[in-house]
Amino acid sequence: MNRRLRPLRTAGLALGVVALLTFTLFPAYWMVSTAFDAHPTQRGANLLPTELTTRHFGVVLGRGGFLQYLGNAALVALVTVLVSSLVALLAAVAVARFRFPLRRSVLIMILIVQMVPLEALVIPLFIQAKSLHLLNSLLGLSVVYIAFSLSFAIWMLRGFVAAVPKEIEEAAYVDGASWGQMFTRVLMPLVMPGVVATSIFSFITAWNEFIFALTFLQSSEKYTVSIGLRKFFGEYTSEWGPIMAASTLITLPVVVFFLFVQRNLVSGLAAGAVKG
Amino acid sequence: MTAAATDPGVRRAPVRPGLRRRRRRQLVAPWLLLAPALAILATLLFWPLVRMVDLSLQDYGLRELNRKETNYVGFDNYRDILADDYLWSTVLPNTIGFAVAAVGCTVAFGTLVALFLYRLPALWRTICSSAIMVAWAMPAVTGTYVWVWLFDPTNGLASKVLAGLGWIDPHQVNWFADRLGFYSIVLLNVVHHGFPFVAVTVLAGLMTIPNELYEAARMDGASATRQFWSITVPMLKPVFAVVTILSTIWDFKVFAQIYLMPGGDGGNRDVFNLGVWSYIESFAQHKYGYGSAIAVLLTLALLAITIVYLRTLFREDEDL
Repeated sequence: MNRRLRPLRTAGLALGVVALLTFTLFPAYWMVSTAFDAHPTQRGANLLPTELTTRHFGVVLGRGGFLQYLGNAALVALVTVLVSSLVALLAAVAVARFRFPLRRSVLIMILIVQMVPLEALVIPLFIQAKSLHLLNSLLGLSVVYIAFSLSFAIWMLRGFVAAVPKEIEEAAYVDGASWGQMFTRVLMPLVMPGVVATSIFSFITAWNEFIFALTFLQSSEKYTVSIGLRKFFGEYTSEWGPIMAASTLITLPVVVFFLFVQRNLVSGLAAGAVKG
Repeated sequence: MTAAATDPGVRRAPVRPGLRRRRRRQLVAPWLLLAPALAILATLLFWPLVRMVDLSLQDYGLRELNRKETNYVGFDNYRDILADDYLWSTVLPNTIGFAVAAVGCTVAFGTLVALFLYRLPALWRTICSSAIMVAWAMPAVTGTYVWVWLFDPTNGLASKVLAGLGWIDPHQVNWFADRLGFYSIVLLNVVHHGFPFVAVTVLAGLMTIPNELYEAARMDGASATRQFWSITVPMLKPVFAVVTILSTIWDFKVFAQIYLMPGGDGGNRDVFNLGVWSYIESFAQHKYGYGSAIAVLLTLALLAITIVYLRTLFREDEDL
């Protein structure tokens, strides 16, 4: 390598890092800094707020009723996670551990249903929920989210189950364990990291979902965060401080969880494309 | 014994009872394990799709909804939609044009970032990957509000900066009212949110390419550009196929990113895409049948893309 080019190359890379970090983090920075800015509308083009405050968070949690929305969203997400992880784990064991007729078709069908647009499903499901009196119910919303998070969860857990060596299972049988004992005492602990990763992904799906929450939830005490934010937006138009404070509260848990599961998420999404 | 047990012609031959029980379990157990998942998917995804097609053949409004009646009109909804100039002049260009632009920008930018990350030392690569994860993790709803705030015509950062430079008059400008301005902001939002997936996936692919290939190319005097087109692109063809098709599927059905922008929730019909149009017709106009017909068209388009995706995927991963 040409030695004289080295510093130039390093400078280029450093410049690239700065540009990349600025572009990727700027919206998040702007959100958080507006949330703490005492005078967001007078900030103009200043990169730093002139005066810091936590007032907007008080407005959001008090007048905005966000404590309730955060609780609702957490409840819906929790129910979704518990049910969908369990159901997905059972299904993942079936497709990863057994060879049976139609196995491939089942897998492909699960992949196809994942592509169905929510905008299309929302109309028939709204009519269905209306006739079953499940509109405006957090339980009704959870049931829908379970279905949406399921196919991705099955695909992701399939990989984790397949990675457990079959010999370990067979050893359990040799020791006289039944299938149920093998499942709860041997397989479950081994795939637990996968279950955690999948659960977090289901949590994020339910926490972020917008279109069904918008359509199903009608009274404001039932709102989840994504809808609560919208109502808030309409009511106090251009009160950007509170809106960004609420956005920060919504985004924070998602970012933390996301950084936690990033590697599993990528391998799940790419579904073997990289392995070649 | 083992040969007899696997040969279908002599299956009736006496086998040890334990073996037969195990064989039966092999057949029944997977379906028992799959049953809850399949039941949920069938009731909440498959059956609604059937209902959607059924609704699309009806003139289904508030009256039918409240009285639980049916009102079949054949293919009238489809005929109306396909004859509507609005579909051809506004909705389809918005949907397809946006998807093409967004996928192109996302894949190109994501690939550039991946190539850049590949050159970085390990520590900085980790720092930058974590930073782009933050962009990915930002929920669509809050992310969209941040972009709306950044481009707020009166107080937003973008208009302040441009007005400070004397390029625009802040009282004259409203980017959201203009179709091109509106979609430019959506594009920025969607690319910012979508490129991390491409970057991380392509980076993972780059790591699998043996370094010897590049060394050999350098010895032959190939330029960096030449190396990219002659080694990287062919080697990563399956990766590019997957990220392109997945991005297409996602960008075809953007909803919150449009609905939450000023005018996107019904105020400005110039900016609707297929999904938003279907939603507004159903839930703002209460024309559920008409909305369903639009939704069927959207689903068919996505299904076609999905089939391409599956073909690409399973060519790579034959042993499912």
